[in-house]
Amino acid sequence: MSNSTQTGLGKYKENLLSIKKSFLGSFLRSGMPTSDKSRTAVVVNNFFLHLHGAKTHTNTLKPSYTLGLGLISFFLLVIAFISGGFLMVYYSPSIGTAFNAVKDINFVVISGKLMRNIHKWSGEAMIIFVLLHMARVVYTNSYKRGREFNWVIGVVLLILTFVLNLTGYMLPWDQLSYWALVIVSNIAAAPKELTDIFGITQYFDIGGATKEVLLGGTAPGQNSLTRVYLLHIILLPLGICTALGVHFWRVRKDGGLSKPDIVGDRETGVAFISPPQKTGGIFPTHKTYGLMELARGRTPAVDNDVENTVTSWPNLFVAEIAVFIFTLAGVIAYSYFIDAPLKEFANAAIPENPAKAPWYFLGLQELVSYSAFMGGQGLPGLAIAGLLLIPYLDREQEHFGIWFSNRQGRMVAIESFIVGAAAVIGSLAFVINFGWFRNWWPKIHQLWIIAINPGNLLLGFVVAYSLFVIKRTGSTRMGAISLFTMFLVCYVILTYTGTVLRGPNWEFYWSASQWPIH
Amino acid sequence: MIPSITKCKRVLLIVCLFLFPLTSVVLAQENDDEYAALVESGKKVYEVRCLLCHGSKGDGNGPVGIIRRAERNGRVLEIVPRDLTMAVFRFRTTPTGCLADDQDILNIINNGVPRSFMPAHEKIPIQEREAVKEYIKTFSYRWEEEDPCEPIAVVKPEWVGSSKSVDKGKIIFKEMKCGECHGYEGKGDGPKSNDLKDDWGKQILPFNFSTGDLKRGSTPENVYITFTSGLDGTGMPSYEDSLNEEDRWHLVSFTLKLMGKLDKK
Amino acid sequence: MQSRFYLSLLLISSLVLIAFMGIAFNREMNPEWKKYQTEYKDFLVKNAKDASTRQRAERIQIGMQQIYIKSLERSDRCMSCHRGVENPLMAEAEQPHRQHSGNYLENHPIAKFGCTVCHRGQDRATNMREAHGEEHTHWDFPIIPSKYIQGSCAQCHDYEMLRQEGGEKVARGEELFRQKGCQGCHKIGGKGGDLGKDIAGIGSRPFAYFSMKHVVGDHNLYNWVKQHFDDPRAIVPESEMRVFLTDEEAELLTTYMMTFVTAEMPRNYTLIKNVIQPKIDGESLYKMYCIACHSDGRVSLYDEIFKRTIPAIRNPAFTRSIDDEHLRTIIKEGRKGTQMTAWKVSAAGLTDADINKIIMYITMNRPEKKPEPFGFLKYKADVRHGEELYNIRCEFCHGAEGKGGEGFLGINLRNPAVQKADPEFLAITVRDGREGTPMVSFGMKGLKLDNQDIADMVAYVKTLSQKK
Repeated sequence: MSNSTQTGLGKYKENLLSIKKSFLGSFLRSGMPTSDKSRTAVVVNNFFLHLHGAKTHTNTLKPSYTLGLGLISFFLLVIAFISGGFLMVYYSPSIGTAFNAVKDINFVVISGKLMRNIHKWSGEAMIIFVLLHMARVVYTNSYKRGREFNWVIGVVLLILTFVLNLTGYMLPWDQLSYWALVIVSNIAAAPKELTDIFGITQYFDIGGATKEVLLGGTAPGQNSLTRVYLLHIILLPLGICTALGVHFWRVRKDGGLSKPDIVGDRETGVAFISPPQKTGGIFPTHKTYGLMELARGRTPAVDNDVENTVTSWPNLFVAEIAVFIFTLAGVIAYSYFIDAPLKEFANAAIPENPAKAPWYFLGLQELVSYSAFMGGQGLPGLAIAGLLLIPYLDREQEHFGIWFSNRQGRMVAIESFIVGAAAVIGSLAFVINFGWFRNWWPKIHQLWIIAINPGNLLLGFVVAYSLFVIKRTGSTRMGAISLFTMFLVCYVILTYTGTVLRGPNWEFYWSASQWPIH
Repeated sequence: MIPSITKCKRVLLIVCLFLFPLTSVVLAQENDDEYAALVESGKKVYEVRCLLCHGSKGDGNGPVGIIRRAERNGRVLEIVPRDLTMAVFRFRTTPTGCLADDQDILNIINNGVPRSFMPAHEKIPIQEREAVKEYIKTFSYRWEEEDPCEPIAVVKPEWVGSSKSVDKGKIIFKEMKCGECHGYEGKGDGPKSNDLKDDWGKQILPFNFSTGDLKRGSTPENVYITFTSGLDGTGMPSYEDSLNEEDRWHLVSFTLKLMGKLDKK
Repeated sequence: MQSRFYLSLLLISSLVLIAFMGIAFNREMNPEWKKYQTEYKDFLVKNAKDASTRQRAERIQIGMQQIYIKSLERSDRCMSCHRGVENPLMAEAEQPHRQHSGNYLENHPIAKFGCTVCHRGQDRATNMREAHGEEHTHWDFPIIPSKYIQGSCAQCHDYEMLRQEGGEKVARGEELFRQKGCQGCHKIGGKGGDLGKDIAGIGSRPFAYFSMKHVVGDHNLYNWVKQHFDDPRAIVPESEMRVFLTDEEAELLTTYMMTFVTAEMPRNYTLIKNVIQPKIDGESLYKMYCIACHSDGRVSLYDEIFKRTIPAIRNPAFTRSIDDEHLRTIIKEGRKGTQMTAWKVSAAGLTDADINKIIMYITMNRPEKKPEPFGFLKYKADVRHGEELYNIRCEFCHGAEGKGGEGFLGINLRNPAVQKADPEFLAITVRDGREGTPMVSFGMKGLKLDNQDIADMVAYVKTLSQKK
């Protein structure tokens, strides 16, 4: 590299040859990392990667610990965002053109159908994976030690996921959209059932007002579509991005994924020099972002277990990319074979029979068939409140980061699963065979049905049983496991019933093949 | 003491022997008078209730005349009231060609004939019905000349209506070519169904098993009797000779199936 | 251990992803229509007679075809597969390449009309299954079978012209519609009875409107309508429709049903040459509104569908004893409790003039001689005696409660038309009977009841409506 050869062209050629290296260097700021220090620098210097810790605990990387569920949910959202942007190019939110636009996406746009499928299925898969992610968090006892509020954000994200899916369902403006919108707006108007009973509907019609705000009128029409579109592509995505940002930021601030206190013991056979001190405050603080953990060897770490960390680059990032590609491949494969449904153009004169909400709300619709108010708003409200309260009612500071905490937890989970399934199947079987108050006493006051219906009884039973578990085991943690297990079982079985077992006029059929043919 | 008693007995016996022919003659005389009165009262009832359709001579040529009924497929059927002068009845329990049993005639009077507008007369007093029956029997010489037949014995086997029996009956239905009139699916639309006539030359329709009950009632026993006795005066023959008893019962199972009588059980 | 798991996950997922991207791309690049267009082009190139046609054939570009017609709101993409539709060379070819039959395209250029305006089907779809709107494609208007397609002509043309110029099927269907008395039960344009459903717009009614449970073959509008004409009760078991058609008639009427569509064609598409309305006289009105039930009205019928007797209304014995005013009331108000519709303007939509024409037609053969008056008011009627007589004389035709109905030959004596009728009229009917019906004469000519008895019976009948 003598100065004599440094002609202008020579330099140009040299630069040209070293583009790859210099670009990588500029991108990663310090070139391809070679040491732990430079690997750390990659993380620290990168906007996106900076969200991660420089080092990652091996427990976090154990596939069996998280099953990648949170990541998959996030990647599904990313996929839905990208495919959604693609669909937006062709879609136009007017009842005159929306249906045709979707038809054109299906028939004319190259890979349009595939994109629509991807968008649809990634969105609906999110519901499943967010629920599974929540289950993981509950069962590994990960909603404690400063993560309590993050759990609350998680529940908000779940609701946002539901609503995003629902609003997307309405955009094609086909029969499915229209009648789902009708059902949902009726659920929104459910408080009417209550205000009617007290005779105050004409003064204080909260249900009717909600419905009108949602629909932009009294019946689904152009205004409703505009509103739903606005929600689907601006308000809710903004909301979910914000909530997700906070969610991630708090995960990081709360010390990454939770892990067992004694994981070091198990993995390396070396116990901590000094067990973490539990000092003051409601929630003990366990932060890991000390500079200390960058160095190898035993340290008086703030928290613990620096021995069992590895550098995030490349360990964590390879894992994340692998999960991303896995998610993408799964969604595309599914979308290749299964087409997103599209029925006839919306027709207010021809009700679908059965008119069903999208599948993830069919559990609710089953409850609505008992009582509009309780099923549509009361019970889901109570269920969400119950979920939100889990970390505040169970504060036992033991057994973190271990699936089901201990043997007892596993037993409680299995037990609750069986009891919950028996309770929900039993109550469904009872209602299907014998009907409810309205069938027995046709003139009964509606208030009785609002107060006492299978949904309420089921909820009461779930709460009572988890309290019973707390009493029996003497542990609120077991109560939380029991409560959440039963919530999940009820949701799954009710949804299955609403989707598969309910036919025209919400009658019971073992399968759709037994429906009276139309 | 003892001989005197036997003596008394013998005397009594002799007296009785002499008296018996006398009493029977007196009784017979009374019977004849009673019978004439019965027929006379039957005639009165007949004139009020039956004459409208069956005519004053019992030849089915009453003031009402022909009744028209439009079938569900639009075909108009002309129904002629039964001509009582030939003493040919469809709904008998006696073998084909025989006179009807007294009870058979009463059954028709009591229950009527559905779809033919013969009303049921259960509500009128039994004496009047008996009287009318006797009066009806005066329309034909056959009632005097012919001897009554024994009614057909009906013993229903246990297995009637079982699915095996239905299957066998189906084969017999096919073999006996029932479908040519009654339709291959029992809907009364077989290839010959359009040109069937009864003994009086009027068009009649083969039974459509999907429309409901048989005119004489749809119990297994009634169906069996129909197969055995035939419906005299119509194209429905008696199968007493061409099918054995077991096969007729199999056929009963199959027709019950066609009429949907087996589903409800 | 962990890194190997993630690396292999990454590897396998990537391979799956690439594979699916590959087959998805392949599927996108080879749509169904491309195959047909290539076939078409190859055929033309192969069969070219001279160099210039060959060159022209080779210059055909393969690509999606679309006819966008703004005023009809259609984007017909049918020609993406049916590219040879205007090409005379393709007259003998197999579908989808065959040329359009007849000379229809001469007067209906594709560029102006497109395809789906006549043939129906899904205009935007680009594969056969969905374009033809086969079952389970969620398209309400599948392609219309060619035997019913003339129903589409009437969107723009009048029947007089169609009768002469290639639309005879739909024109005959229209005639049949008026002769079979369809409007006796079905409303169209506000006119017609109310036993059946309003048939306005039936040709464009969505699939879900119909119960397809018993339809044989494809579940679509056309099969429903046709099979419903063949045997109404096979499709709708509880139907009371009294229609008995030959197969051909059913086909013609199905074609005609397809003309009842809700959408109107733009002004510049329609071509009405003859605006002459068909002449509506008493006879044709009778056929339009009455004939489906009353047939020619000569004899009365017990009907297995209605489960009651349909009276003979053109029978001289009837027209002789009833005056026009009474007849008008019955026609206008209908007979409650029976299938007889109220025909006044506010109900079934017949004007007084129409009703007058119908009455004229019904009473056409009314005998000159009026029946001998009965003089009902002269008698002092004994209702109890009337009841006794009723129970032995009338009960088995009119029923013990006088309701008639299923299994009874007699009419319902409780309906207002009887209850409000002049007792004189009823007495004459009982005395003289009704020729052509099972109602026999109970008077001196027939069953020898004296006038007092008849008056008693009529008086009793008049009290029937008060009984429970």
